[in-house]
Amino acid sequence: MDVSQYLEIFLDETKEHLHNLNTQIMELEADPENMGVINEIFRAAHSLKGMAGTMGYKRMQTLTHDMENVFSEVRNGAIKVQPEMIDVLFNCLDALEEYTNNIQESADEGTNDNEALIKRLNAIIEGKSNAGTATSENNESKQAESKPAEAVDESAKPWYDITLDSSQIVVLEEALKQGKKIYGLNVVVQDTCILKAARAFLVFKAVEETGEIIVSNPSAQDVEDERFDKDFTLLVISENDISVVVKAAENVSEIAKVTSEVIDIHKTKGYKPSGETSVAVKNDGEQTAVEKKEQAAKTPDKKASSKPVVGRTVRVDIEKLDVLMNLVSELIIAKNSLLSAAVSEQSNANGVMSHIEYLESVTTNLHESVMKVRMVPIESVVNKFPRMIRDLSKKLDKKMELYMTGEQTELDRTVVDEIGDPLMHLLRNSADHGLESAEVRAQRGKPAVGSIFLDAYQDGNNVVIEVRDDGNGIDIEAVKNKALERGVITPEQAAVMTDKEIINLLFLPSFSTAKQVTDVSGRGVGLDVVKSKIESLSGEVEVKSQLGVGSTWTIRLPLTLAIIQTLMVIVGNEKYAISLGSIQTIEDVSPDEIKLVQNKEVINLRGSVIPLIRLPELVEIESSKKPEDNLVVVIVKKGDKMAGLVVDELIGQQEIVIKSLGKYIKQCKFISGATILGDGEVALILDVNALL
Amino acid sequence: MDQLNLANNLVSANQGEENETTQYIVVRLGQEQYGIDIKYVENIVRMQQITRVPKVPSYIKGVINLRGEVIPVMSIRIRMGLPEDEITRATRIIILKLEQDGTVGYLVDEVKEVVTLESRDIEKMSRDTLDTSQNFINGVGKRGNELISLLDLNSISIEDNIG
Repeated sequence: MDVSQYLEIFLDETKEHLHNLNTQIMELEADPENMGVINEIFRAAHSLKGMAGTMGYKRMQTLTHDMENVFSEVRNGAIKVQPEMIDVLFNCLDALEEYTNNIQESADEGTNDNEALIKRLNAIIEGKSNAGTATSENNESKQAESKPAEAVDESAKPWYDITLDSSQIVVLEEALKQGKKIYGLNVVVQDTCILKAARAFLVFKAVEETGEIIVSNPSAQDVEDERFDKDFTLLVISENDISVVVKAAENVSEIAKVTSEVIDIHKTKGYKPSGETSVAVKNDGEQTAVEKKEQAAKTPDKKASSKPVVGRTVRVDIEKLDVLMNLVSELIIAKNSLLSAAVSEQSNANGVMSHIEYLESVTTNLHESVMKVRMVPIESVVNKFPRMIRDLSKKLDKKMELYMTGEQTELDRTVVDEIGDPLMHLLRNSADHGLESAEVRAQRGKPAVGSIFLDAYQDGNNVVIEVRDDGNGIDIEAVKNKALERGVITPEQAAVMTDKEIINLLFLPSFSTAKQVTDVSGRGVGLDVVKSKIESLSGEVEVKSQLGVGSTWTIRLPLTLAIIQTLMVIVGNEKYAISLGSIQTIEDVSPDEIKLVQNKEVINLRGSVIPLIRLPELVEIESSKKPEDNLVVVIVKKGDKMAGLVVDELIGQQEIVIKSLGKYIKQCKFISGATILGDGEVALILDVNALL
Repeated sequence: MDQLNLANNLVSANQGEENETTQYIVVRLGQEQYGIDIKYVENIVRMQQITRVPKVPSYIKGVINLRGEVIPVMSIRIRMGLPEDEITRATRIIILKLEQDGTVGYLVDEVKEVVTLESRDIEKMSRDTLDTSQNFINGVGKRGNELISLLDLNSISIEDNIG
């Protein structure tokens, strides 16, 4: 069965299950008695096992199988949840994640058997009871799955491990009736043998001369393709004596050992006398295990040949697609009515205008819907953080708790994919550098458990993600001293730098204030990476910090990447676009309302003092207004910062498509791009965020 | 197979040595004629409205809309220290696609013709570091009595910190 086409779905669902398991196990840790959670975990582990099995990922299946066993025991009340067990389970999840990553990259799960983990899992189960009925059963079936080679040594009668199907049994029974004998043959090839498949082929040929090979394990095809370890097992029907058959096999060179026995057909696996319907197999569990093993052994080989490259996908709510479809049909209707209006002889300007208005509303909605299709909640990224904080808490030996809000905030898929690492850096930073040790916290009268907050929310055309902690905050003096020590700044510079400027030094490459390097953070890589990553997503990062109280890191990301609503304005004789998302109000200000503060122009607008930026001066063009005229001021804001942009005239609201100015023009910081207006003219887009 | 390729290479190399030909678009800047290697030229468009971009070097005239794409336009004249362009009916914008900087438009006074120059007609110029205007030329092509300065497009477009 070719399963590669299901790989994407498999990966998607596996990740979902892993997330689910992570959160559920966290819950379990907090509330070990919660049966609902345990059931949920059991179900997730079970589906994960089933999926891995179907896809032929044997190692993954084995591991999940053992995890499932543990959960099953917990569910039955046979063992209690202990902290140690939670740790093992988390390690298992990490291992599963590693498998998943391997699969995503190469469609192969890799070769790590994670035996140590499996042992620990079994130890948990065994720890439960010494009677060990269920335990030994589990162990047996597991070993049959994971170590087929060892099973040979244990039973020493590998021929009974072969599962026969009904047609083979019929053949064997028929042979017995004819007075022929059935032999089981186990052939071991020498370790030094290079052409194992060739030797096996010769054995097959020699044995065929003395009798008829009914079954081989591994299958004849696998043996031919050299997909066997050192030995293979045959079931042979022959009229000859057993020694003749063995001799034939032994005569092939480089064969180490041939063991054989006359087989009792009733002992073979899957045997049921033909005609009888009830299952009369002694060990049902083991049989299915072997079957699964065989399936599992076959599928990966097939897949390896056609390595599928897993593309990036977005799961789309079917409702969103329905809306999209509706809008497209509306678009077609709008086009048709425009067409008929154009053709009709009495077409007047009013009629066409109303159609155009309709078309406009359709395209706006269409854009919004397409955007929504690309949007995914940041949940998928932030979900792994509670687990990370838990691990950090253990590793750093600090008590801390992560509080998250706004996981449902949606962002463009491309952004969501990239935002994980920077956020992780910031959280680690807060956990390691931010939060104080227990003693210091006690001294300062803070609660023993440190708090880290991750808040996400939408703010105009931006999405804001805040990482906040109630820890030590940034020690500005320490940063300054470090910067001086490293020669990043001169003492003269240090003297005049504001706190904010000093904090921004943290974002320079190779700058870390942690007094001791831990493996959590503190190597000085991190904040600069965070900054460059966020900037590459055309976002921004900011810090606010108060020594002894805590720090807040604010990441601001654009909601959309291609089309935005803007206010078109005229400056001099040029047109500029200002993103509507950052505009608060538009004010008419008389020149005598302008005051000077520190030689900068400000206005007092309903109680708040807002600095003015005169756009004509900024873009170096002559204003079309006279100095005594009233000013048109567009009030913009970024976070809690506001400014008033003085423009000459307003044109109106317009939806524009953002075009890049290219690499060629990069000096201009406050122009974020350009757009093409209806008449083909190019207008520049003012980047309000860069102005503030 | 390899030998065949090798033989082909040798043949073409020999031909190249004798008369490697390059096509140039000849443009006029003031009184001088300049050649632009045709392999970089995407398009030649008439003068159209250029949107000024603030706070950029003076030789960047702004951006234009070329069939829905926003493309920066620069003045070779200002770049080379010649007097400001005079926009006439003959003024054209040559759209070039450069390896490093992507698509860019050059303002020229007039586009005259396409010439094919053999390598023996081209005199390579050694760089004179003192004379900046000379730095944008990597050779002079001779065609009859006329001389055509061949523009080194990459050195024109590379940003210098002085500009």
